[in-house]
Amino acid sequence: MRLPSLNGQVSPLLPVALAPMALVAVFILVIVWVSFQSGTLGTVHSNYTLENYHDVLGDSAIYGVIWNTLWFAFSTVFFALIIGLPIAWLTERTTIPGKPAIYVIMTLGLLIPGIFVAMGWTFIAHPRIGFINRWLVDLFALDDGPVNIATPLGMGFVQGMNLAPLAFILTTQMFRAMNPMLEEAARTAGMSAAATLRRVTLPLAGPAILAAVIYIFIVGIATFDIPAVIGLGNRVYLFSTYLFTLTFPEDMEPRYGITGAVGVLMIVVALALTAWYGRVLQKGNRYQVITGKGYRPKMLDLGGWNWAAWAMIAVYALISKFVPIALVGFIAFAPYVAPPSLEMWEQLSLNNFYNVNWELVWRGMKHTLILMFVVPLAVMVCAFAISWLVVRTRSRGRYALEFGAFLPHTVPELLFAIGALLVALFVLKDYVPLYGTVWLIALVYLVTRLPFATRALNGALLQIHKELEEAAYVSGLTMLRASRRVLLPLLRPTLMSVWIWTALLVYREVTVAVFLATESNITLTAVVWSYWAAAGMTEASVVTTLMILFFSPLLLLFWIFGRRSALAEE
Amino acid sequence: MISIRKLEKIFDSARGPVRAVDGIDLEVAEGEFMVLLGPSGCGKTTTLRCVAGLERPDGGSIEIDGELVDSADGGTYVPPERRDIGMVFQSYAVWPHLNVFQNVVLPLTEGQRRIPRSEVRDRAREALRLVRLDGLEERPVTDLSGGQQQRVALARAVVTRPKVLLMDEPLSNLDARLRDQMRDELRRIAESVNVTSLYVTHDQAEALSLGDRVCVMNEGEILQLATPKEVYSEPPNLFVARFVGEMNFLPAKVVDAGRVESGLGAIECAVPSGCAPGAAVTLGIRPEHIGMAPGESAAGLRGQVLRQTYLGDALHCQVQVGEVELTVTAVGDAEYVRGETVTVSLPEKGWHVFPEGQ
Ligand SMILES: Nc1ncnc2c1ncn2[C@@H]1O[C@H](COP(=O)(O)OP(=O)(O)O)[C@@H](O)[C@H]1O
Ligand SMILES: [Mg+2]
Repeated sequence: MRLPSLNGQVSPLLPVALAPMALVAVFILVIVWVSFQSGTLGTVHSNYTLENYHDVLGDSAIYGVIWNTLWFAFSTVFFALIIGLPIAWLTERTTIPGKPAIYVIMTLGLLIPGIFVAMGWTFIAHPRIGFINRWLVDLFALDDGPVNIATPLGMGFVQGMNLAPLAFILTTQMFRAMNPMLEEAARTAGMSAAATLRRVTLPLAGPAILAAVIYIFIVGIATFDIPAVIGLGNRVYLFSTYLFTLTFPEDMEPRYGITGAVGVLMIVVALALTAWYGRVLQKGNRYQVITGKGYRPKMLDLGGWNWAAWAMIAVYALISKFVPIALVGFIAFAPYVAPPSLEMWEQLSLNNFYNVNWELVWRGMKHTLILMFVVPLAVMVCAFAISWLVVRTRSRGRYALEFGAFLPHTVPELLFAIGALLVALFVLKDYVPLYGTVWLIALVYLVTRLPFATRALNGALLQIHKELEEAAYVSGLTMLRASRRVLLPLLRPTLMSVWIWTALLVYREVTVAVFLATESNITLTAVVWSYWAAAGMTEASVVTTLMILFFSPLLLLFWIFGRRSALAEE
Repeated sequence: MISIRKLEKIFDSARGPVRAVDGIDLEVAEGEFMVLLGPSGCGKTTTLRCVAGLERPDGGSIEIDGELVDSADGGTYVPPERRDIGMVFQSYAVWPHLNVFQNVVLPLTEGQRRIPRSEVRDRAREALRLVRLDGLEERPVTDLSGGQQQRVALARAVVTRPKVLLMDEPLSNLDARLRDQMRDELRRIAESVNVTSLYVTHDQAEALSLGDRVCVMNEGEILQLATPKEVYSEPPNLFVARFVGEMNFLPAKVVDAGRVESGLGAIECAVPSGCAPGAAVTLGIRPEHIGMAPGESAAGLRGQVLRQTYLGDALHCQVQVGEVELTVTAVGDAEYVRGETVTVSLPEKGWHVFPEGQ
């Protein structure tokens, strides 16, 4: 096999492109390796064993965890699609007014971290402290709160609300690509509307919807933040939170071998789903080829139903984001967790702000800012190298690069976080002191943010005719100068949007930060988590409120520079 | 100025290796305008890109102005930026983020052949004047028409005063009228800067009108390398005859060294030495060599007009003569109706005889 190269020379970009791939491989392999180890890892007192798998599969706890995870993932998919799909249809196929506003709502939905919303939902529907339950108990003199969010179904509801924007974006693309002429052709061929839906629309939309289902399911089975915030305190475990308690047990030495074995189970499931996802996507793409150029789909006029459609969207925005976040904001000023009431209103104060350890918050802020600066830069350099080699060279090796860059899209970040933790603890410990540094977190972010950046750049590079670069070479420009004077200026809009989008996602990321955070590399989200986990709900709410305030100017930046291409790619 | 020896280029494709260029030898003299002509996919672009250094040959060698720039055996490879060339691409490839002037200036300020800052402005203006774009310096190139963009590409290619100018179907994206106009101008510009040109096209009319010499290619090989006149009047084989201009073909049998027997009867012509009496050959004759007159007469063969195509400057008639269907160019203001009986007179010269299996 020839290496990706221009004119037979190995491109200097190749090492840059391969570095993140090596990270992916190392993070995954180390989990596999650890799962077969017993004794003191990384020393001579360890040996190969199947004991860990034996212990995991022999413990009945794992089956409860699997059951919970499936329940959670399926309800996540259900709620995400039942909300996301109709809104996608409304924006792409009807004359509903205010479409830009719908995009704003859905994009915001994608950016507001699940952990914040989960905190709000705890305040709303926790079996003991949840406001709804408190009201109902008072009202009907019940013994227990009747509503319980801390179940797989309840958490799946919260995550489904949270991922509805993802379902929206995945299916808007489908509606956009699907040529309505095909439906019209069926109607003119004498088929009824119902028959058209059954025989034409659904079969055409099928692969895209199935792909969305699989993708959201994969995200679902690996969700950490929501089950951690809502479920851990109530001892309801999913895969992710189970892994967390195995890795960071409260009352004993961690057995990383067990973590590894559970991780491997998850890797197997994720890879199997990835393979399926890839197949379905391919099928969907085949259908898209049919789309003609420059067609204008005819929009359905909703007439009097417009207000009903908007009412649905508004209710969604209200209960999925606005109410939970508003409650978190309220608790930030409340003396203790209690439902909003006139009485509480008078007790609001800034007292909680004095209880917060500002030194810790400042440290978290510093690390978050470092990550927001370093990660997008690294992501962009690596993604550029990969995209250039994938798009501009013709070696077969480019398919391997493309696949490697796609893998972290479906392999959960949770696994990369565990892999990185194990690498830092047991492989690199004596050589490179990565454990407890932000750089360890940065490496995982680099890997997890790569797929989006690579796809965005692939698309942009495909748009830039190869001859524009070649014209620079024959004009006497070296490769370096040609890149600087021709390629980079043409890529600038895409690079800007990738930069900002990546920075935003780094800012809001929880899972990796929680798994890898120590005193010395804690990020803002990990500060929120550490307060919450230590039952400091009011302090957690204070930091969350501040985070949301800082978020707003960033969102504005995103809105100005990058939203178009980012939305189109994610 | 350019000398290509035994050039080979093989691409890997899904269907296995493709020999895009298969052992080409070509010498282009200083100041010459050489045209590579051939059907789509015959390896013209690949040859040109090898000369530019955008592809690395798998075999053979290339010299530009006496300097060895490619040698597959010796491992020599000079990258494109260090070759003394200018190139015009099929897609124009003008840089859309720069204006007209910046497009032309970039090779002078950033390239390996950069010149002193003080001369840049004059040199760029001179190039723009040459392509008649003076006055449009500050325009964004994306605001220009296709023809104007092509001129920018041309100015950019000649602004460094290269020894060699490479052009890959530069006119194929223009509409017909503009194409004719630009064709003449290309020739004028190439002559006025006295550059050696290698020009790729699949359009035979373009090739015949532009080239000092034309190199007809097919499937990675050279079939004929000759002046336009020779290419038109002496095609060495059926492929060139089919590809360049119009020609009538009919099967025939060799009678002796000066005569063949065909559907039009016995015809006097020069038979190539390799063909023994009795061998099957293909006979070719250009439409303009066949005479045609209205009505029946003893001066020729009886024919019947089947169809006609009016081309403005000429009239092409399909005429049935016995078993044979001929295309004939009618001259003058002659007009025919379908089914009309005509007299077709066969010439004594202008016959081509192609041995079978060529
Ligand atoms: N980058 C490439 N990869 C694979 N095959 C190629 C590539 N470029 C050209 N070819 C093949 O090489 C042959 C010659 O192509 P080309 O030189 O572009 O032809 P032309 O310019 O005469 O139309 C064609 O069969 C084409 O498919
Ligand atoms: Mg070509």
